[in-house]
Amino acid sequence: MPENEDELSLLETIDHLLDRGVVIAGEAIISIGDVDLLYLGLNVVLANVDAVTRVSRKR
Amino acid sequence: MKWLIVGAHLRREDIEPLAAAITAGDLFLSGVEVADDQPLGDRELLLRVARTRAELLERATFVAIRYGFAIHGESEALAQCGAHLPRWRALLEEHRDAVEMTLKVAATEPRARPDRREFASGAAYLRALHESVSAAAVSEEFSLAAEKTMDGAQRRWTHRDGRSLELAALVGREDMPRVQERGKQLKRAFPDVPFLLSGPWPLEVFASEEG
Repeated sequence: MPENEDELSLLETIDHLLDRGVVIAGEAIISIGDVDLLYLGLNVVLANVDAVTRVSRKR
Repeated sequence: MKWLIVGAHLRREDIEPLAAAITAGDLFLSGVEVADDQPLGDRELLLRVARTRAELLERATFVAIRYGFAIHGESEALAQCGAHLPRWRALLEEHRDAVEMTLKVAATEPRARPDRREFASGAAYLRALHESVSAAAVSEEFSLAAEKTMDGAQRRWTHRDGRSLELAALVGREDMPRVQERGKQLKRAFPDVPFLLSGPWPLEVFASEEG
């Protein structure tokens, strides 16, 4: 879980980037993949961002 | 080289020099230049695009394009986006002074995500997944209060997953501070309801075909 407002804001920003807006290319594939692949991808990315923000705060 | 597309804009000057402006009919696509072989899942690229997206929104409201759409030039832009352009132009002209704000709230009775291994076919699993997501709900009292928080704007509830719902609203840029203040009042009125009010965002929910 996010630990502060900056982290929450970053996670929310990434969530909107990956999971909002008009889908142009490969719409059919993405809408099926959305079920598993996009969620999985988002989780992986969030984990990485989470790690980045933790590390940067420790410096 | 290719451009990873961020959004569709009315004017070239809404984009440059923050990003490349790629002509698509009578609109312009904002693009972040990336090498052809660069993985789009790269963390630094993702953060760079997120920053660019926020900077572009400070300039002017635009139609958000989902992350991952990349093109090599204007002809490809027109081929891929041509059918959308009239609708995007109408949206941009109508909502030029508005931004989206979202209020994400935890469902009162979260529904468990179905286990794929329990279904014989992918179609049955997708149906069960859809049902579990669309069954998520919040109390009527909170939903009415949330809608009042976003008062005076177009609003739309969306089921994000089995554990949360999201209320998206079109808010005038000058009304954002008032909405944020009402969000604080909502927090005081419902201290036990986990929710997140965020924004501004470009036209995302209201740019979808259902909009």
